[in-house]
Amino acid sequence: MSASVYARRRAINVVALFLSGCATVLGLVFLAWILWTTLKNGVGAITPRLFTKITAYADQGGLSNAIAGSLIMDVIALLICTPVGVLAGTFLAEYAHRSKLGAAVRFLNDILLSAPSIVLGLFVYVIVVVPMSNLTHGSISFSGIAGAVALALIGLPVIVRTTDEMLQLVPGTLREAALSLGIPQWKMTVQVLMRSAASGIVTGVLLALARLAGETAPLLFTAFGNNFMTLHPLDKMESLPVAIYQYTNDPNPALHAIAWAGALLITLFVLALSLLTRLLFSRKKVHHD
Amino acid sequence: MTNFAANDAAGMPAANAARAEARTKISVRDLNFFYNGYHALRGIHMDIPEKEVTAIIGPSGCGKSTLLRIFNRIYAIYPKLEATGSVMLDGENVLDPSYSLNRLRSKVGMVFQKPVPFPMTIFENVAYGIRHHEKLSRADMEIRVEQALRGAALWDEVKDKLKQSALGLSGGQQQRLCIARGIALRPEVLLLDEPTSALDPIATGRIEQLVEELKHEYTIVIVTHNMQQAARVSDRTAFMYLGELIEFDDTEKIFTKPGKKQTEDYITGRFG
Repeated sequence: MSASVYARRRAINVVALFLSGCATVLGLVFLAWILWTTLKNGVGAITPRLFTKITAYADQGGLSNAIAGSLIMDVIALLICTPVGVLAGTFLAEYAHRSKLGAAVRFLNDILLSAPSIVLGLFVYVIVVVPMSNLTHGSISFSGIAGAVALALIGLPVIVRTTDEMLQLVPGTLREAALSLGIPQWKMTVQVLMRSAASGIVTGVLLALARLAGETAPLLFTAFGNNFMTLHPLDKMESLPVAIYQYTNDPNPALHAIAWAGALLITLFVLALSLLTRLLFSRKKVHHD
Repeated sequence: MTNFAANDAAGMPAANAARAEARTKISVRDLNFFYNGYHALRGIHMDIPEKEVTAIIGPSGCGKSTLLRIFNRIYAIYPKLEATGSVMLDGENVLDPSYSLNRLRSKVGMVFQKPVPFPMTIFENVAYGIRHHEKLSRADMEIRVEQALRGAALWDEVKDKLKQSALGLSGGQQQRLCIARGIALRPEVLLLDEPTSALDPIATGRIEQLVEELKHEYTIVIVTHNMQQAARVSDRTAFMYLGELIEFDDTEKIFTKPGKKQTEDYITGRFG
């Protein structure tokens, strides 16, 4: 009797292991396929021209204005969403941990996390682009700043959530130990807990950057696009995802090649960010044990 | 525990008389504690003598840690906990909301069950608390940190690596660092909440020896699961059961001729 039970369990184990193995392989195959296609099509178009010429030259040009625009908007977006996100996450973890307000904010944050990015783009169009245009009588409308605000809305919930979770992982005993020395809560939070959770919080910021670096939809109605080089955040601004979007809609195959190169650049950027976060996180673990 | 031999020679009444002279540091009166409505401590009454070691023993869940955590009001960081009655520290009620937490916690230090060093260097771990309460010059700070580490019998082991992370120390060293961090503020009372339960026997021996030395300067209250430890380190022992203080007397008396049957049953291992 017991032998048959064991045989059955072993059979179920083998089947379950096989199915989960298949699921893993299926997921990884598509990832590898995507990376391979991007690499195969993009590598050929990576030329010095890509980094020196602007999109105005079309198939004789490059993506320098799109690269510059992306970097500028990503950095501004991070400058906006990092302080807000870290502070909000800290509020959730340390001051509203078990309160109803905290639960409500956490829920709303999760909604923002999964909000369609085009909706965020339209929202920023209405609250930033249109008022700016009205104020300046049309001389400033779409702008790098508006694009950055839209991207910040993408990154914000990621940072809020990771900061919240990372601070909650800090053991309660560390809080008690600091408070029992008479250290006030705000000081303990900043000097002890944040230090303890620092690598996790930085990881959240990098993840947010990886997420917003690939976004196209929020930029369409905010930064709009610009075929010429600009470093001024109040100008219309080109970005890599928007350039890729426009070039893939064009019948000219030379432009498709440039779009592939742009896609490869973004992929490599995100890959580098992921590796960096991995590095930060693994170092933290070694450090703590 | 050399004074036990003397007490034996003189007999119990004399020992009690000698004890009676010890000044009361913490006086607990009609203390009740409610844990989300649950009555966790019932009418606790006790006088903790100055510069002696008071051990609190009892089975799990009897409220011994809860009692300890009232003395520095650390319980108040969690919602829905409530203490009524009074805990007089040098004649002032620490449960009174007007008693400043800053002042209370600089007078009453605490060491926890698990060693919890801050994610900083060894030096900073000790200096951090001092810096919050006092402005010291660099040189004075170095002296204070050294004193605290010497006081916690850790100096010789860490003097060459003060700039290294405290997380690299062994468990026993981390716990002594936590004691150093506590005594660096020059408190009057030290609360130890099962300070050796996460340590090996050698590290435990060190901490117990340290407690012996520290009692000359501090009033020490130690919660322990380990009855032998209470017998080894304490002058007085309180036995708690189901949220009540059953018996509180000289350690020797508690372990040789306890006054209550429940105490006897517990120390002889009939329950617990």
